Amino acid sequence: MTTSLLFAIPLLYLLAAVLSLVPLGRWFARGLTIVATVGALVAAGGCAAQAVAAGSITAIPDWVGVDGFGALLLLLISFVGALAAVFSWGYMKVRARERGKRAIRLYHVNFNLFLFSIVMVPMMQEVALAWIAIELTTLLSVLLVGFENNHEALEAAWKYVILTMIGAAIALLGIIVLYRALQDAHGGPFTWSALQAAAPGLSPVLFEAGFLLLLVGFGTKVGLVPLHVWLPDAHSQAPSPVCAILSGIETSVILYVILRLFPVAAALPAVHLQNWAIAFGLISVGVAAFLLIQVRDLKRLFAFSTVEHMGIILTAAGFGIASNSFIAPYQMLTHALAKPLCFFAAGSALMVAGTRDIAGLRGLIRRAPLAGAALLIGGLAITGAPPFALFLSEFSIIKAGLSGGHYVAVALLVAFIVVAFCAVLAHINRIVFGHPEPLPKAGAPFPFTSAVALVLAVVPVIVLGVWIPGPIHSLLSLAGASIGGAAP
Amino acid sequence: MITYIIYNLVQVAFVMGLSPLIVGILNRAREMVQSKRGPSIFQPYRDLAKLFNKDQVVSEESSWIFRITPYLVFITPVFVTLLIPVLTRFPLFFAFAGDMLAAGSVLALGGFFSALAAVDTTNPYGPMGASRTRMVSFLAEPVFMIVFFTVSFVAGSTIPYIVQTKWITPPAAFFEPVHILLLLSFLMIILAENGRIPVDNPSGHFELAMIDESKGLEYSGKGAALMKWGGYMKFTVLLIVFLNVLLHPWGLAPSLSPVQGLVAILLVSVKILGFLAVLVVIESSLAKLRLFRISEFLAASFIIAVAAMISQLFTGGAA
Amino acid sequence: MSGLLGPLNNLAGGLFLLNAFAMVATRQVRGCLRFFIWQSLCLVASAALIGGITGTIELFIVAAINLLTKPIIIPILLARSVPEDIHTRREIVQVLTIPSALLSALVIAVVSYFAGRTLLSAAAPLVPAANVPIGIAGLLLGAFTIAVRREAVPQLFGLMAMENGAFYAAIAFAPDLPLIAEVAAAFDALVIVLLVAILTRAIHERVGTTEVSSLTTLKEEPRP
Repeated sequence: MTTSLLFAIPLLYLLAAVLSLVPLGRWFARGLTIVATVGALVAAGGCAAQAVAAGSITAIPDWVGVDGFGALLLLLISFVGALAAVFSWGYMKVRARERGKRAIRLYHVNFNLFLFSIVMVPMMQEVALAWIAIELTTLLSVLLVGFENNHEALEAAWKYVILTMIGAAIALLGIIVLYRALQDAHGGPFTWSALQAAAPGLSPVLFEAGFLLLLVGFGTKVGLVPLHVWLPDAHSQAPSPVCAILSGIETSVILYVILRLFPVAAALPAVHLQNWAIAFGLISVGVAAFLLIQVRDLKRLFAFSTVEHMGIILTAAGFGIASNSFIAPYQMLTHALAKPLCFFAAGSALMVAGTRDIAGLRGLIRRAPLAGAALLIGGLAITGAPPFALFLSEFSIIKAGLSGGHYVAVALLVAFIVVAFCAVLAHINRIVFGHPEPLPKAGAPFPFTSAVALVLAVVPVIVLGVWIPGPIHSLLSLAGASIGGAAP
Repeated sequence: MITYIIYNLVQVAFVMGLSPLIVGILNRAREMVQSKRGPSIFQPYRDLAKLFNKDQVVSEESSWIFRITPYLVFITPVFVTLLIPVLTRFPLFFAFAGDMLAAGSVLALGGFFSALAAVDTTNPYGPMGASRTRMVSFLAEPVFMIVFFTVSFVAGSTIPYIVQTKWITPPAAFFEPVHILLLLSFLMIILAENGRIPVDNPSGHFELAMIDESKGLEYSGKGAALMKWGGYMKFTVLLIVFLNVLLHPWGLAPSLSPVQGLVAILLVSVKILGFLAVLVVIESSLAKLRLFRISEFLAASFIIAVAAMISQLFTGGAA
Repeated sequence: MSGLLGPLNNLAGGLFLLNAFAMVATRQVRGCLRFFIWQSLCLVASAALIGGITGTIELFIVAAINLLTKPIIIPILLARSVPEDIHTRREIVQVLTIPSALLSALVIAVVSYFAGRTLLSAAAPLVPAANVPIGIAGLLLGAFTIAVRREAVPQLFGLMAMENGAFYAAIAFAPDLPLIAEVAAAFDALVIVLLVAILTRAIHERVGTTEVSSLTTLKEEPRP
């Protein structure tokens, strides 16, 4: 029963992708996508429940299966996907006037294929197949990034594909090195659990080389500094629903793959993984925080915020290594809930005002109250203000860091988060409040479904800010055990 | 002992006698590939005979360098012939008098003097061609060095007779990347040093575009004949280094008997003909490079030689 | 006969490296394509030869798959999806002059030799050990190609050369990698080429040129 649920998730996306090709009227592709993504969300919920009950789901032994962390990610992916599909309805209705029905159909095909590829990543237990799934996520999102088909979007798409594919090739070499390390230690099938089991026997040189190659290679896709240069371009030029998926969950999924190696490293004392992770994480947070001060484009603002949060997650993983702490998955969860809200708000502002430029957008709360309020809530949520979910997760990270004795790191982390907070809110303040200026281009009326999507996105962020439901808590503990390394 | 010296002299006579024929065959083959009839393959002999019977005209402004250069250009390949394995597999009398570096330096001496002589005249095209020839030789020097160093790295010596045995023991070593890549690099050097396509057009008459041909522009009579013959011999000598030392010592006489010597003459000639066929294909399918692209051509040759050395490091050191 | 396979494999490695250098140095787009095809053929040859040396059947299948996709299907795909005139382009102005680019490539190759030696000393001994440093060199030279080329299609070939390099190291370092992963990766290369070709066509239509290194408008400065 549960294995069929597990397979149902990608199959639903695939089916929706294929059927969206059929030209059956204006609303067919869009409605089909919403139905498919909601169905996938339900299936993912079922899988998560099963994972909480049984610890893990194994569909094809040694090839396909999920454990706690994977089930959490499936849930997040399908949630963000469903929200983005709902927002796409209204967004594409506005854009369809310029692009034509065929382009919109192809958008939905690509959208579903993209979600299909992201969903495959946590499901793959075999490491080499996980690499292939990650390659597919890049390839299937290139044309989405370049969807607007103007100069900037194509430039962003080109940089995206070239830089991330370079990273993927480097990561391939890393995977080969890890495979060799496993084979030399007589490990058997090339899965995450086999790597963890064989950990004490792995050659430290090989593992360190493989891990560094994977960190650099996949770190390019995650957006870790200094390999992040494509991220602000790609995550801002794509259509807003796609941005929500890219920033909200796709980078977290790639970071998940890197984090799967942490328990292996914890068993190898010669590899000082904790220091590397904390250092790289803090570099990303710091650089992103300072870059946030000088952005001029609303979506680039949120893209840099993604870089910052990826750094925070990496730092959290460093803090929590070998201690079963779930702070890193928790941060992934809250980030995935808050980021789509930000991008939906940005997309709404773009629809209403016709421009993304921070200097040009003013007084949004007067022009479109819902969009303005959403933008304000999103800005507060993504920078970790109470009573939103990110506040709780960042607080638990700081607590874990302090209890682990990393005082300097925690101090730096807090400082950078405060800088980012001030920068983002200064920009948002300028946009939301202030006297509305006459616009260069007349905007469009705000679609109802986009409003629905905004509300749906806001609710979990507020709810999880005050209370973590029981099942979510168990899921998080399982996820923490997956990357903790110590005995669960 | 005497037989060794006789063999050496036979080698010199072989190179001196056969080099005009080699160039004649090459010219005729090139013309035939272009669907023309081409001159007779013995035409260079007739040209040399004609030039020897003519008077020399020497400019009053020129110095002793101009007069001595034809002799130098003629003698230097003869010296090199004494050092390299032309007909025999075993070292002859003068074999250890110098190694490949010495051979390269001796040939460079001839080139140096011919450039000086070209400047010595008051012909405006002389210095222009001389400076271009010097540029090509200057860029080719590092490649020569790397080739010789890699060869000594593999074979442990730069004496040609010793080097030629190293490539074929064991027989599979023929296919080692260091061997094949060195062959490729040296082939490009032969094309550059002898002024063949794609570096220079040997049948061109346009002085402004000449690189190597310009060294013989001012000479007449005996001087011109010696310059031409010396050029043919230099080409032959470099060919023989490529074929007998670097490629494979097939066809060389393993012992001193005269019968084997005659057979060696035949087989080496066959080898040279095979190489001429390859050369004709290369010359007929490429176009002459622009002057500033020649540095890229020679840089590529350098990189191939260094890649040969790196391959040796990778496969010899890492294995 | 088996004594011949080792040196032949080394020869394939030497030619692989040479083709990687050539891709850095060539000016023409068509030249880049040609050298990529030759490099892929060296990869196929090496896979088959190592399969013969170590007796691993999977490597023959890998060689066959790579023979089908890289030298045959990829050029056909490109010819169909990218406009003809892109293939005839050459780069007149370069990022680095050709001799400097070649010398930097040389330095990269030497660095990868040392990196490969470190990895090899940490692993169990391998029979065709030269593949690993050559593969790493191919990977790094592919990245270098992307850095020094301005046109779109050579950058794509640089990417493919990186994958070639990683696979070259893989056939020696991890010959029994699950076959399904190898098959999927080979078809993945096809998808990359197809998508990048579509993107190149879109850029060609919209921006008017495929000189992608001149696309630098996305920055933090205020837009005019």
